[in-house]
Amino acid sequence: MNIAVKHSADATTVEEGLAIQEANAKFDSKAATDLAMQNTLLTPRFYTTDFDELDAIDVSSVREDWDKLIDQMEADPNKGHFKKNEDWDHVDWEGMEPKLKKEFIDFLVSSCTAEFSGCVLYKEMKRRGNNKDITQLFQLMARDEARHAGFINDALREAGVAVNLGFLTQQKKYTYFRPKFIYYATYLSEKIGYARYITIFRHLEAHPEHRFHPIFKWFQEWCNDEFSHGEAFALLMKTDPKLTSGRNVLWIKFFLTAVYATMYVRDHQRPAFHNALGVDPDWYAHEVFTKTSALSRQIFPITLDIDHPRWQAGLVRLQKANADLAEARAEGGLSGRLRSLGAQMRAAAAFVGLYTIPAKKHALPVSTRMEPAY
Amino acid sequence: MGLLTREFERAPCTVEISHCFESLHAHVRFNNGTTVYPGDSVKVHGPEIMAPYGMVVSEDREATIIRASALERLWTRLTGDFEVMELCEFSFSDEVTL
Repeated sequence: MNIAVKHSADATTVEEGLAIQEANAKFDSKAATDLAMQNTLLTPRFYTTDFDELDAIDVSSVREDWDKLIDQMEADPNKGHFKKNEDWDHVDWEGMEPKLKKEFIDFLVSSCTAEFSGCVLYKEMKRRGNNKDITQLFQLMARDEARHAGFINDALREAGVAVNLGFLTQQKKYTYFRPKFIYYATYLSEKIGYARYITIFRHLEAHPEHRFHPIFKWFQEWCNDEFSHGEAFALLMKTDPKLTSGRNVLWIKFFLTAVYATMYVRDHQRPAFHNALGVDPDWYAHEVFTKTSALSRQIFPITLDIDHPRWQAGLVRLQKANADLAEARAEGGLSGRLRSLGAQMRAAAAFVGLYTIPAKKHALPVSTRMEPAY
Repeated sequence: MGLLTREFERAPCTVEISHCFESLHAHVRFNNGTTVYPGDSVKVHGPEIMAPYGMVVSEDREATIIRASALERLWTRLTGDFEVMELCEFSFSDEVTL
């Protein structure tokens, strides 16, 4: 019997998607193998913010750019893209070097959790808001994040890792972030995410022999979604010039430094992953920082001086302090505690050192909108 | 709302879990229009809700909202921001070694 089963990545409405999913479930024999899988509980965090402040956003000053961006997201050029096709080559999970496998699964689980948490946050903002422009944006972004999470989840299933969504029945506490911190953090996160994915995608285009998993082939479309989410946050910030001037510039510098430094430290903790990709993490970091800085000039009045002699040295010190801290914590006892205190102080000093490097100032462009060009 | 006391509140809710290729998501919606505030905790009652792969499961349940005391709410508003870096995506967990 030949039954043409439509894929719900092609659905246009939520209702259609649900109907297709239900129909497809009948043909999904993989569910039966779930029990044998390694279980990973997803643990997203739950947030609240000042929803009145969100509702008060008025996008009329950026209306033209805003409508264009929303239309583009509504048109959903990536619909149907996030599904496996003949480009999804066989993955030899059994034959994968154990250290690489561990690091790669950490990559997939962390990425899946991040997309999933983004979806929870955006959906909450959509649900609690009353401003039509804002709720529409967050609904579209939640759609993309859920789609990415589903795609990564599928790659995890192939590796024998099942994510568990049972966290909802556990007690969970809602924390609070000020809207402006959400803008700075998520804007940067989306833009640096774009820079990270496109850099790997371009590198693997030139060196396909290092592409050890097919998911990297999907990075281009994936990061284009990240790019437009970043654009939306840039326009949101543009509606209120106070967000990118005065004392807030110090916050912007803090977020830039913290995001770049955290990325550097985390990437250096995954040597097998980068080795398999044929990527030197120091080269990669510099490349990603350069791209992110070029992009964030659209809305941030400063960029970090990543070519300053203290920059790379500071990152290396921070990374070393962080590794020592983990070692000292594992050691325990009095000497471990003392060593961990020392490492924490060194990490703090390294961060302050990075933060105090004078930033490069520049005038903001008249038009904020950019297109992905890397 | 007391300065130091927490209050408990029951609320009907709908839990939707999608465990599909094109959408992996899970949401709780309160059906009586109530909302949560900083520092509140929410617990959905009943057994763990599991959606088999390829399925969207939607269930009506009851939840308890543990309302934060006034002090707790203030504390969460003042300190929550310190954790804002969680919103950033770094591809990897913070484990130094795996």
